[in-house]
Amino acid sequence: MSVLAVTNLTKRYHRGGKPFAAVDEVSFDVGPAETLALAGPSGSGKSTIARLVLRLIEPDAGRIDFEGANFLALSGAALRARRARLQMVFQDPLAAFNPRATVARVLDDPLRIHGIAPRSERPHRIAALLERVGLDTGLAARAIHEISGGQRQRVAIARAIATRPSLIVLDEAVSALDVSVRGQILELLLDLQRQERIAYLFISHDLGVIRAVADRVVILDAGRIAESGDARAVIADPQSAVGKALVAAMPKLIRNRP
Amino acid sequence: MTALLSIRDLRIAYRRDGIEVPALKGVSLDMEAGERLAIIGESGSGKSTLALAVAGLLARGSEIDGTINWKIPKSQAPHSFALPSVLPDISPTRGEISSSAAGSPPATPAVGETDRDSSISPQVGEMSGRTEGGAVERQPFHLHDRPLLLGRDIGFVFQDPSSSLDPVMPIGKQIAEVARTHLDLTWREAYAKAKTLLQRVRLPDPDSALHAYPHQLSGGQKQRVAIAAAIAAGPKILIADEATSALDTIVQAEIVALIRRLVSEDGMTLIFISHDIALAASLADRIAVLRRGELIELGETSQIVNAPQQAYTRALLDAHLGLDAEPQLDRQGTSA
Repeated sequence: MSVLAVTNLTKRYHRGGKPFAAVDEVSFDVGPAETLALAGPSGSGKSTIARLVLRLIEPDAGRIDFEGANFLALSGAALRARRARLQMVFQDPLAAFNPRATVARVLDDPLRIHGIAPRSERPHRIAALLERVGLDTGLAARAIHEISGGQRQRVAIARAIATRPSLIVLDEAVSALDVSVRGQILELLLDLQRQERIAYLFISHDLGVIRAVADRVVILDAGRIAESGDARAVIADPQSAVGKALVAAMPKLIRNRP
Repeated sequence: MTALLSIRDLRIAYRRDGIEVPALKGVSLDMEAGERLAIIGESGSGKSTLALAVAGLLARGSEIDGTINWKIPKSQAPHSFALPSVLPDISPTRGEISSSAAGSPPATPAVGETDRDSSISPQVGEMSGRTEGGAVERQPFHLHDRPLLLGRDIGFVFQDPSSSLDPVMPIGKQIAEVARTHLDLTWREAYAKAKTLLQRVRLPDPDSALHAYPHQLSGGQKQRVAIAAAIAAGPKILIADEATSALDTIVQAEIVALIRRLVSEDGMTLIFISHDIALAASLADRIAVLRRGELIELGETSQIVNAPQQAYTRALLDAHLGLDAEPQLDRQGTSA
């Protein structure tokens, strides 16, 4: 059974007085411990889908099933409880956190809010989370604005896994990182997925990153699915116009390896 | 060949909360006229600081030491050149960027016939060969001597076109203003020039685009406008600082193709700043690799890509996740 199933999801906005569909009858599913990538150019609807799945915005039509239940029907306490299982990591962790909060505070919040650990146990839990994402436990006392971008994104991942989610939405989560840091964060995500059986909805405009981490890919264009399938197969031989354009636009680095 | 741009032992530090933070720690490099040089590096490498220093755009209060010398061949120089600065305030007491249209090194007299000395040239003769001797002549800024001017001599394209364009001025006027300021044109001529430039950067429907405001354009279109404004006065040098980093892959490829075409058509010298080694390699003749304020490697693009001398350069190449090689990610994973 899939962790997430999205059916005929539609979100309309108005632009210049005229309605247009940012997301237009989109359907896909994500299996347990699977990485499904959403790719597409700016304005293709991939971030709108992320916000819909997280219920940060409500769709105009369509259905979202999460862990086998109608996610759109949930409200109040039931929605809050279910949200613990559905986490997110965004592109800019500095914008996602209170910059003056300490790392410990950022990780304490989900443990407290979702009642995962009593107060006395939380410092121990926080230290374990930091170790899990490859950070020194001494970082707990530091302010978010004092640590590096790569460390901050690790804290964002630690916060996301604190509530033991079955799905994490990663919206351009490695796009702003230096390449050396990016590789480490992708490896961490792959490792967590294998250990904790977490599914990822991995949103990126970068087919190189998608090819490295995703099992399947959905390529979007103007709110609609242009094509989908096995990530490596689609990227190796795209059939849609936008898929071909995305592949052609990737900078090539031709190396004569010894 | 004589260097168009000669940077020697450039050291720059910013003051942050009263603490001096070094951004460049003694960078030296030369550029030939017409060359396309990419400067790559990660966050904090100093690549943007180097671009800003070359353009004379460093924030006031920056500590600057070393030299940036320009030598503009006569045939290409409609103006006299001096400092690459429009900000006189960036010259603190230490002498700082002692830039002049420097004399050529003694070994290259043959080029002299096409060289043009700057109007601040009393020191030019003295400058000859000095850099090799180590005793670099320092000069204060000479603004009245018509410095090398951003906009006229150097075009600069920033990462975020939304912040480099005026949100409440029609884009035609923003481009025309550059042409009118630097080329002594009337407004009518400047607008005609702006329209031609919008055609050159392939903006759809240039006639109506002249009257559009930045918010009515997409990110890629705004960057095309920013490029049109940057080249409006026919600069000899174009500096693009992460000019495609905020754009999606398809638009990035279009903007890179546009920059490549314009640089080629106008014979501009290009300084292309990027964190992306593959993108840099697709555009540049030579690549300079910066790390933590130091120039750690500089070479022909093919040498950097195929035979990097530094482990760090190799690591950058290996970290590239392209479609043309197996990603070097550890899928079996150790917790990072």
